[in-house]
Amino acid sequence: MKEKVLIVPCSGIGKSLGSVAREGAYVVTEELCPGRTQLMPLALLVLGDKETQIELSSAGAIAIDGCVRACAAKVVEGAGGRVAHGLQVLDVCRRHPDLKPSGISELDESGHKLAHALAEEVKELVDNMRGEVSHA
Amino acid sequence: MPELPKKKVGLIACSGEEIPEGTITRLAVRQVLESLRPEQTVTICLPLFLAGGEGDRAFARFHPTITVDGCAKRCAARSTEMYSGKPAVSMVVGDSVPANSAGLGSARRLSATGMQVVREIADQIARHVDRLLDLKWDRRSGQPLASSLPQEESRTRQAACSCGFGIPVQTLQVAGREVTLIALPLIFAQFREAGKLPSDSTKTELMQAVKICNPVPSEEEAAYAQAIMQEYAAFCRGSN
Repeated sequence: MKEKVLIVPCSGIGKSLGSVAREGAYVVTEELCPGRTQLMPLALLVLGDKETQIELSSAGAIAIDGCVRACAAKVVEGAGGRVAHGLQVLDVCRRHPDLKPSGISELDESGHKLAHALAEEVKELVDNMRGEVSHA
Repeated sequence: MPELPKKKVGLIACSGEEIPEGTITRLAVRQVLESLRPEQTVTICLPLFLAGGEGDRAFARFHPTITVDGCAKRCAARSTEMYSGKPAVSMVVGDSVPANSAGLGSARRLSATGMQVVREIADQIARHVDRLLDLKWDRRSGQPLASSLPQEESRTRQAACSCGFGIPVQTLQVAGREVTLIALPLIFAQFREAGKLPSDSTKTELMQAVKICNPVPSEEEAAYAQAIMQEYAAFCRGSN
């Protein structure tokens, strides 16, 4: 059985793009790739939780960051994990200039659309990492 | 002595994305930042303690901090203490809700019960904020009593996030080694703005201000004072 791909979203609390990263991660792990992906909370890695570090060392991770400080990618690498792909929500934003997300606790419609666009990009990466052909 | 950087309470949520209690921490903190105590609180994302710089790690040394965790692992409290400073208050959502969290909804979407817990936790955080700032409220107007407000300007602002602008720090050479002092650029700017030129009396005041935010070993106080005054003199020359 193939290892699940770890999805590590930024745990941003101060900006809409952090919420988009988190919502996108939920869309991937719950709707688009359930059973093939696993959500990994960043807080456990910050703490240095051993169990989480072992999980991290056995699978590739996709880090989704909400801002240029790239906490998710940096913390995964710092915990000994392998960032197979690091995504910036800002880059997804640039590819969808019509979507201008707002809201943090509750994303607006634009934010949810952007989260789905992000999730589709992540799904393609997951397919590639697992050697599965993506039929668009 | 000039006013030091504004005293606010720092809020740090674990934000654990895999359990509903983690979502409760995040939403409760946002509620305090956005509506309950917007003028008195500031936040930072927990991972910045690892991914950020010295200014980010200075957060809990600079602000009295309340950590809010979703489970008994207490990632926010323990990480904050490990990398930044001991939290003034450490809360765990599980202490306030029944052991069975099934009724809270999912991590992605909380139920009505989950949202009720968000409000309860937010209220608890707000009460801790008031206590830490010694803030008293006028029950009729619903506004803080002016006499109990921290010494700071009141202005319209959005819920504050420290991401991207951690506490400013400055690194000096003290007795042949590098020492990073938090808030030093702010202190310099405030002294300069108050028209305090480098002098012996300014040195005493500067050291008092520096020591509020930074530990200064008593045996090295003279070396710190010398280094700080040299930097302050250079700062004043540069801002002329």
